[in-house]
Amino acid sequence: MREPTDFDAIVVGSGISGGWAAKELTEHGLKTLVLEAGGPVDPNTDYVEHVQPWAMHFRGFGDRKALERDHPVQRGCYACDEVGHKFFVNDNENPYTTPDDAPFKWFRGRQVGGRSITWGRQVYRWSDLDFGANAKDGHGTDWPIRYKDIAPWYSHVERFIGITGANEGLSQLPDGEFLPAMQMTAVETDARGKILKSFGGERVMTIGRAAILTTNHNGRLACHYCGPCERGCITHSYFTSLGSTLPAAQKTGNLTLRPNSVVAEVIYDPTRGRASGVRVIDANTMEAREYTARVVFLCASTIESVRLLLNSKSTRFPDGLANSSGTLGKYVMDHHYGSGASGTVPGFTDKRTIGRRPNGIYIARFRNVKTEHPDFLRGYGMQGGSGRGGWGRGGSMAGYGAAFKDSLINELGPWSLSASGWGETLPNENNTVTLDPTTKDKWGIPAARMDVRWRENELAMDQDMKTAMAEMLDAAGCTNIRTHGSNNPPGHCIHEMGGARMSLTAKDGVLNRWNQAWDVKNLFITDGACMASSACQNPSITYMALTARAVANTVAMMKRREL
Amino acid sequence: MERRDLLRAAGAATALSFLAPRDALAVWSRIARGGAVIGGLSEEQLALIGAIADTILPRSDTPSATDVGVPAFVNVIVSENDTDEDRAAFLAGLDAIEARAKTTGGDAFAQLAPSARASVIESIESESNRRADPARTYWRLKALIIHGYFTSEPVMKDVLKFEVMPGRFEGSAPMPIRTSMPPGEYRHA
Ligand SMILES: Cc1cc2nc3c(=O)[nH]c(=O)nc-3n(C[C@H](O)[C@H](O)[C@H](O)COP(=O)(O)OP(=O)(O)OC[C@H]3O[C@@H](n4cnc5c(N)ncnc54)[C@H](O)[C@@H]3O)c2cc1C
Ligand code: SF4
Repeated sequence: MREPTDFDAIVVGSGISGGWAAKELTEHGLKTLVLEAGGPVDPNTDYVEHVQPWAMHFRGFGDRKALERDHPVQRGCYACDEVGHKFFVNDNENPYTTPDDAPFKWFRGRQVGGRSITWGRQVYRWSDLDFGANAKDGHGTDWPIRYKDIAPWYSHVERFIGITGANEGLSQLPDGEFLPAMQMTAVETDARGKILKSFGGERVMTIGRAAILTTNHNGRLACHYCGPCERGCITHSYFTSLGSTLPAAQKTGNLTLRPNSVVAEVIYDPTRGRASGVRVIDANTMEAREYTARVVFLCASTIESVRLLLNSKSTRFPDGLANSSGTLGKYVMDHHYGSGASGTVPGFTDKRTIGRRPNGIYIARFRNVKTEHPDFLRGYGMQGGSGRGGWGRGGSMAGYGAAFKDSLINELGPWSLSASGWGETLPNENNTVTLDPTTKDKWGIPAARMDVRWRENELAMDQDMKTAMAEMLDAAGCTNIRTHGSNNPPGHCIHEMGGARMSLTAKDGVLNRWNQAWDVKNLFITDGACMASSACQNPSITYMALTARAVANTVAMMKRREL
Repeated sequence: MERRDLLRAAGAATALSFLAPRDALAVWSRIARGGAVIGGLSEEQLALIGAIADTILPRSDTPSATDVGVPAFVNVIVSENDTDEDRAAFLAGLDAIEARAKTTGGDAFAQLAPSARASVIESIESESNRRADPARTYWRLKALIIHGYFTSEPVMKDVLKFEVMPGRFEGSAPMPIRTSMPPGEYRHA
């Protein structure tokens, strides 16, 4: 029997966004084809979170030569380590370019599950402070939606995937549908109280909100606190599309998942003014194929979806599909992050932790919430944690002999507490992704060329992250306080966003309020490319909520025969 | 987490996830069988490293550094993972440590009595500039020795009683720590 090539819906990408599109579309009864550029992943044999250092060739230091050869870019990401590197792309097969003076890091995985396998799992709702920011200060274009439009979809997503967290009643960081919170450490609880008091309740340190199960949920087991989630989770205790949304889609009987299918182009039918389908290159055989569908969802991740549109040229759209506004590939953002402070916490020497908490603490945004900061617009949240030095401290500690050894085995170092900022980046027309005129990937598709730079507002905010965190550590009673600056280039935070933004009118952006292309009504982009601003929260839950919301509207339009 | 669930989780996890990629395990079984590291350190260099390692982490009611194969681990890192430049610097630094042993103790480090070894270590550790040899290489070596010791299978399993699946997180548990390791640094983006 010949493989079917016509479907109700096509979804490009099987990561965080694509998994949600697949689940929602199939549950609404649509025959859905998910095309994934990477190969399949089998958790039973591919996940490596329980592999201990003694079983690794370099005991966790990583195979330098292999990483330099295959992952010269990806190795800059902490998760691309001795055993986890397999969930990151081979940089030689997947090149991209930048101007010499504008480095950009693009960390990504090509496999079923995308980066949901390696992600940090931190999830924070946006608020109207965020959706209203562009309108308020005039940077970027106004979002066509507000919190009330997305709030029910945040709940919908949270209920399904399971989020641990604590409600705090903050307007700038809305509460959610949380499973029980993970514990704070003794020093975090103490610091939270002292910081609340010192800053009049304005600075709130809460336990991290994370897509990790603290109780059994929807057929998935609670976390057993083994620690290195970025290497997979055999019990699916943190959210991956592979262990959660894709199985739900599979269960409907409406899903066709096709790995090793590199989508090279969205095919535009000028007579009907619609996307008729996609052109695919088989990743292994290089064979070309075409698939057709009534609707096409791009969920290939921010840069990939924009690149795909830029590469889909026609007489009607010579500068990239759905680009009549000329904004495609512009206003690209990431979070600038990593500046902050750390300190030593005196006391609490009779306390320790048990288990490895795959989560930290979060300090909700406090800048430009109630008062205006003189140096910069918008704000940042801070993420960090505390702990006591383990045996590793011995490497720089003076001493030798049996007593020294015993102290490393039986005692712990002092507590330290640290946090760093994750800052909002202003949407700027000159932060762009274009197609490189000469470089192509392994499949002959023009590579992305990134030109994204931090500017005045980001740099000013970066300075403030250091001082503000140092102040908080001081209030918490820390000694030995040290600030740290970060030289992370754009992209490094892996929160790349924008390039096909949503807008109120067709001339200002690529997508309308339903993630539907203004120019091509059966084309939807629901990954990070759709973002009109970056806020300061980790963004993936917003992609998930927007995806589910967009599908519901698409199905309603199909039922009304508007599509 | 309920004990029953932990057992379920353990059941799911006993699949193959405890196993390292085959090639990674191969190196340690080869070394355990007495095989050499390709292009590795000389007998004398390994003896020096072993002597320093056992001075820092001697045998007591827990194993010594050489008991758990620390020199072989240092060998793998230096010989198979270092850049040529780092390896050359390390080897030169080992010579500088040996030279210090000869001036302070009058003999090669490995030939010295325990008290003389201790004085050599103290003389190096007391140097305030850790960026000049022999201190520079000594501190790199010390960090490798500690890493190699505490990531070895016997030490993680029998000494630290490392729990792969602790099944719970407690943020304010009482000392002491005999039963589990402190949390690794938490990382995310
Ligand atoms: C180490 C790390 C930590 C992170 N931490 C956090 C965090 O704490 N919180 C947070 O919110 N976010 C975090 N992120 C970011 C998060 O992973 C991404 O925002 C998220 O995965 C984006 O979802 P997506 O579906 O758009 O893209 P992805 O998950 O990347 O999935 C895209 C999929 O599309 C496929 N694809 C790409 N191009 C094509 C093509 N042409 N044809 C077919 N398929 C294609 C890819 O192979 C991939 O599988 C982190 C990321 C990393 C790597
Ligand atoms: S710490 Fe929890 S969520 Fe992370 S891999 Fe282990 S069991 Fe899974």
